[in-house]
Amino acid sequence: MPITFHIPGALREFTAGLSRVEIEHPATTLAGALSALWTLYPGVRDRIATEQGQVREHINIFIGDENVRYTGGLASPVTAASEISIVPAVSGGAEDLCRAQSMRVIWGKNPSRKLAEPMRKVSACGHGIPCP
Amino acid sequence: MIGKVLGHCRILAKIGEGGMGVVYRAYDEVLHRDVALKVVNKDARLDPSSSQRLLHEARASSSLAHPNICTIHDVGENEGEFYIVMELVEGKSLAAMTATGGLAPESVLRYGIQIASALARAHDRGIIHRDLKTANIVITNEGLVKVLDFGLAKRARSGIFEGPTQSFATIENTSGISGTLPYMAPEILRGEPAGNRSDLWALGVVLYEAASGRLPFEGRTGFEISSAIMREIPNSLGPPVPPGLWSVIQRCLAKEPVQRYQRAGEVQAALEAVQSAAIVSPDSAAGSGPPRTTILHSVRHAQVRKGDFLLLVGTTKGAFILRSNAQRARWDVGGPYFHGHNVYSMAFDSRGGQHRIWASTQSYWGTLLRSSDDFGKSWTNPQQAPIRFPSDTGVSLKNIWQIALGRADEPGVLYCGVEPAALFETRDAGETWSLVRGLFDHPHRPRWMPGNGGLALHTIVLDPANSRRMYVAISAGGVYRTDDGGSTWTAQNQGIRAMFMPDKYPEFGQCVHKIALHPDRPDRLFLQNHWGLYRSDDCGEKWIDIANGVPSDFGFTVLMHPRNPDCVYIIPVESDEFRCACDGRLRVYRTRNGGASWEPLVRGLPQKRAYETVLRDAMTADSFDPVGIYFGTRSGQLFGSRDEGRTWQKILEGFPSVLCVRSAVVEDASGDLRPTLATDIPSPKHKTKPRSRSNTRRPGR
Repeated sequence: MPITFHIPGALREFTAGLSRVEIEHPATTLAGALSALWTLYPGVRDRIATEQGQVREHINIFIGDENVRYTGGLASPVTAASEISIVPAVSGGAEDLCRAQSMRVIWGKNPSRKLAEPMRKVSACGHGIPCP
Repeated sequence: MIGKVLGHCRILAKIGEGGMGVVYRAYDEVLHRDVALKVVNKDARLDPSSSQRLLHEARASSSLAHPNICTIHDVGENEGEFYIVMELVEGKSLAAMTATGGLAPESVLRYGIQIASALARAHDRGIIHRDLKTANIVITNEGLVKVLDFGLAKRARSGIFEGPTQSFATIENTSGISGTLPYMAPEILRGEPAGNRSDLWALGVVLYEAASGRLPFEGRTGFEISSAIMREIPNSLGPPVPPGLWSVIQRCLAKEPVQRYQRAGEVQAALEAVQSAAIVSPDSAAGSGPPRTTILHSVRHAQVRKGDFLLLVGTTKGAFILRSNAQRARWDVGGPYFHGHNVYSMAFDSRGGQHRIWASTQSYWGTLLRSSDDFGKSWTNPQQAPIRFPSDTGVSLKNIWQIALGRADEPGVLYCGVEPAALFETRDAGETWSLVRGLFDHPHRPRWMPGNGGLALHTIVLDPANSRRMYVAISAGGVYRTDDGGSTWTAQNQGIRAMFMPDKYPEFGQCVHKIALHPDRPDRLFLQNHWGLYRSDDCGEKWIDIANGVPSDFGFTVLMHPRNPDCVYIIPVESDEFRCACDGRLRVYRTRNGGASWEPLVRGLPQKRAYETVLRDAMTADSFDPVGIYFGTRSGQLFGSRDEGRTWQKILEGFPSVLCVRSAVVEDASGDLRPTLATDIPSPKHKTKPRSRSNTRRPGR
């Protein structure tokens, strides 16, 4: 049985358009399986991992239904029939949330009271993220 | 010729003819086998170099023992007639097979893998085919690919054959260009020498033709074909062509050689991957996968022409290219490019006649530096992130805050300021980047303090008068200067306040938001601090407060007037707690006396409930006279002034939050492009309209 990777849409241009990639590989850990994946599709690597080899902060990898953050990370065991899913974390909405709040305030009835709150949450040094 | 014996081969029948040779079927009476025999025809013999070319063909091909390359057996001369004895390949040319339409994808993959394998062998031997086309590829009756006619092959390393040449069925030319026009790579048409990657372009054309039955770049005349090759994006190939195959073709057909596969072996591996993946994942053949994002068919593009004026707008959700002309009254919008990605920095590089737009993108999937040579129609999407910290640093790239061009006489030099705070440099136009160790290893670095948004090197300023001098600004680290091309750096923060530190005037650690320099006064800098507006008259040695009459000395952007070194624009915001235009009034402030006094510029800007923020790179100037000033806001509005700030108009609203704005004038968008750059670091005095600013004013080391 091959190891199966489920590839998110954003990465399919690096997997020749495939949403599912099956690899016959004797890997026993997630690190080994990922290594096999990006030997075949090298463009995937830098999208999933930093140059220091860590899985990116907002990328989740599941083996079966289990997030590997709770099963040993890259050392998580895989078997020949493992199904590995690569999923971007749905945690990046703060910016949009803030924007939506501030838009409401601009058009709302009492802007002076409400406006400061969202702006404090996401302040705006330089390029729109909190000031270093 | 029929019946004639050349060497030990008796000619039996004519089987083909080209510009350089006639090919006969012959019989080797010594080895008792059928062969093909190519003889220089009489017309070609008028060309004194043709026989040498023929000999070269033989030498080149005879060293290539490969099942997918037509084997050369012998070469000889008989009474002044040169001939080559080669393997007789019986089958059908790929050109003939595709004449009535595209082949099945499985066949394209099978043939493509063999062609790529043949090229890989040739390239490994230093031999470039230079005339790969479907007419030169024969599929034998057994289904085996044979690549013919290395007649234009060149020993890339040995330089045995350097002269200009022509091939049969090629364009006529006297410029040293060789090959067959519809298969020629853009760099060949530009007069550059053919390389391995020119063959990979031709392979892309062959694959496209095999998959679709038509050429990717067509035209009624040679000029039209050349023009299409140089500028057009081929029509995309949908089902039944699998997306993976289309991806491979697209990468082969990248206009710039550096954006293509680098080796034929990579193409072979990619095609094999598509082939094997198609087996294990049959759903791939459905063609439902997204197109390769480097080619943006679904995005509206600005059609850029000579004389156009461009605004490059980076936002929190992608990049836009706005096109106008010298009147700057009407705007076309291209984009959004990089859906959903933060685009913190953009730059326009016109050095050496190029017209390259750079953009940095940041998303869940990391941070990348991308570029486009066709005004956004296609973008690089490198497999490996080009800017990366070396493994020994233990540090990972979080963002690219600034892209800065090097000097005009070093068109390959660019810099990137990144988070965590560091400077990267390329000397080969972005192909390879290296960390500037002199700054990264600075003893202060461990004590630079990341704020809420991280630790960023966001500003790079090159001294136009001293090619070894450069400034960088770091939040929160302060200003650093090098006088030796980046080997050593000194903190230049004397007089700059750090209100969040116990010592209000430390050696370093200030939260500098922006610095700017005018080329006519390279010893003088202006600085917008996290609280504080400053000027230095001695290359940053000391700073003096110039917040004379502004409503707040907090802000982000500082913009130099392109021609007046005493004129600076800022947009104050109320405080670090409440980073919006003071009193809800959007006001640009301008000094025309080096900061001795400031005047508000408000006509046309909202003065009621305008709680706007303009970020550090979100303001720019153009090079016209009078100068245009532009800025974007976090609420997604873009304002512009065509009279140096006296009156303002809203250009567009509804953008995502604007992170950066840059401008450029394109002097010629057809053929030889000679655009000019207009950024917030201007050139010295010019008196033309538009005021062309080459990057001599963005000097490097």
